[in-house]
Amino acid sequence: MTDILRMLALCLLLGPMLAQAAALDDLLQQYAAEAQRPFSAEAGKRMWTQTHPSPKGGPDRSCSLCHGEDLSRVGKHARTGKKIDPLAPSVNPERLTDAKHMRKWLKRNCKWVLGRECTAQEKGDFLSYIRSQ
Amino acid sequence: MTDATHRPARNKIVVWDLPTRVFHWLLVSCFVLAWLTSEDNRFLHVHVFAGYLMLGLLVFRLAWGFAGPRYARFGDFVHGWDNVRDYLRSLLQGRPQPFVGHNPAGGWAIIGMLLMGFVVTLSGIVVLGMEEGHGPLRGWMSPASAGVFRELHETGAGLFLALVGLHLLGVVVGALAHRENLVLAMITGRKWVEDIDTGVRHHSLLGAALLGLASMAAADYFAGYWLHGEEQAYQPFEGRPLPQSDTWNTECGDCHLAYHPTLLPARSWNKLLEQQHDHFGEDLDLDPDTLAELRAFANRYAAESGIDEPAYKINRSIPRDQTPLRITDTPYWRHKHEDIDAAVWRNPKVAGKGDCAACHLDAEQGTFEDSDMRLP
Repeated sequence: MTDILRMLALCLLLGPMLAQAAALDDLLQQYAAEAQRPFSAEAGKRMWTQTHPSPKGGPDRSCSLCHGEDLSRVGKHARTGKKIDPLAPSVNPERLTDAKHMRKWLKRNCKWVLGRECTAQEKGDFLSYIRSQ
Repeated sequence: MTDATHRPARNKIVVWDLPTRVFHWLLVSCFVLAWLTSEDNRFLHVHVFAGYLMLGLLVFRLAWGFAGPRYARFGDFVHGWDNVRDYLRSLLQGRPQPFVGHNPAGGWAIIGMLLMGFVVTLSGIVVLGMEEGHGPLRGWMSPASAGVFRELHETGAGLFLALVGLHLLGVVVGALAHRENLVLAMITGRKWVEDIDTGVRHHSLLGAALLGLASMAAADYFAGYWLHGEEQAYQPFEGRPLPQSDTWNTECGDCHLAYHPTLLPARSWNKLLEQQHDHFGEDLDLDPDTLAELRAFANRYAAESGIDEPAYKINRSIPRDQTPLRITDTPYWRHKHEDIDAAVWRNPKVAGKGDCAACHLDAEQGTFEDSDMRLP
């Protein structure tokens, strides 16, 4: 009886965790279908700090402008100054667990930094980089 | 000065019992405190405390005026007009009639001050309930009807101040005319008198109890200041919680403070949501479902709802034909922030005029209580 309960508890505990990891894997698989190369955390890291001129004459834009270069630390919104929770899943396990959230912010932030939506390749590289942190 | 030996025997007796003296000086403290804190909203809770204590003191004094010892009783110092006229005449002639307790003119100043005290404190409780949503009368009437009580509160305070001025003038004139230190008498309770009078009892226990009770009330009211640390600053007033929406708090709050819908009228929120692809230069890229949810929440609790003081006052301040897109563009916001020093805005801890939470401890809850402000 206790064994069954233990199993049940384990399933209840592991279930959501696996589902979350699955969310990221699913998303990466979708992007991979459109990508030319395997995803690379290294490529994601390089793009992370690449700067792009601001169309409005503000400071040059990059991912690290708001999120910082160390993903395990708190970031700061460039315009409003609002704190942004760390992106690194190693310190913030909530990150990379919600597909809708990841899609939304990849779209919005690519448009803001690059002035265009990212390609599937770029998105996959970014996610791979963030996952490794 | 008249040679003392030619005067009748003088005794030093207790005229003002301890409860009366404690009442007097606590009332003075409340009065001063309430005046000092009447302008700056940050000290509203101190103002309110002074008012509550004052009301308590007044109720005590009313009872003591009937149950207290001789000189504290209304029967001793409330005189008819004839006596007041005779006294004032004797005063003008330089030979003021002697009174051990209050003289007939002073007696009426006391009655006037007590009356104004009640007017000011009671109207204050009404304004507190209607405008701020606090105190025993909170939610009793809408903020819109607070105007007449506010007038009463302010006019009453002005009259009270005028009466205090007359009272002080009376103390100076009386002290000179009667050659006695009236201020010292209100501290020690003792006066020199020229007739055979045994004076009154001190009623020390009751006086001490009155002082103890007031101190305990103050300690209880202000305890939060030393119970809370820097990490979680003390919020003297906690407003009624406003309705919240997880979608609103996430969609708005991911980039900036999730300004509560009460802070702008519905037409402003609708316009902002219509322009979501150019939200102050950003593309919000909201999907239709999320957009509909945000719109419903904003329209339900927009400033027009008048569910709290900021909602009511912001809405009232905006001309009907205007649709401000920034809270900082509303006349009420501008008026409330016009006296803030430029240095505060330049402080690195303040990320701009939209960074409400830099000073308002309860910005996230949207309640914007008067006392929950700290300049960084």
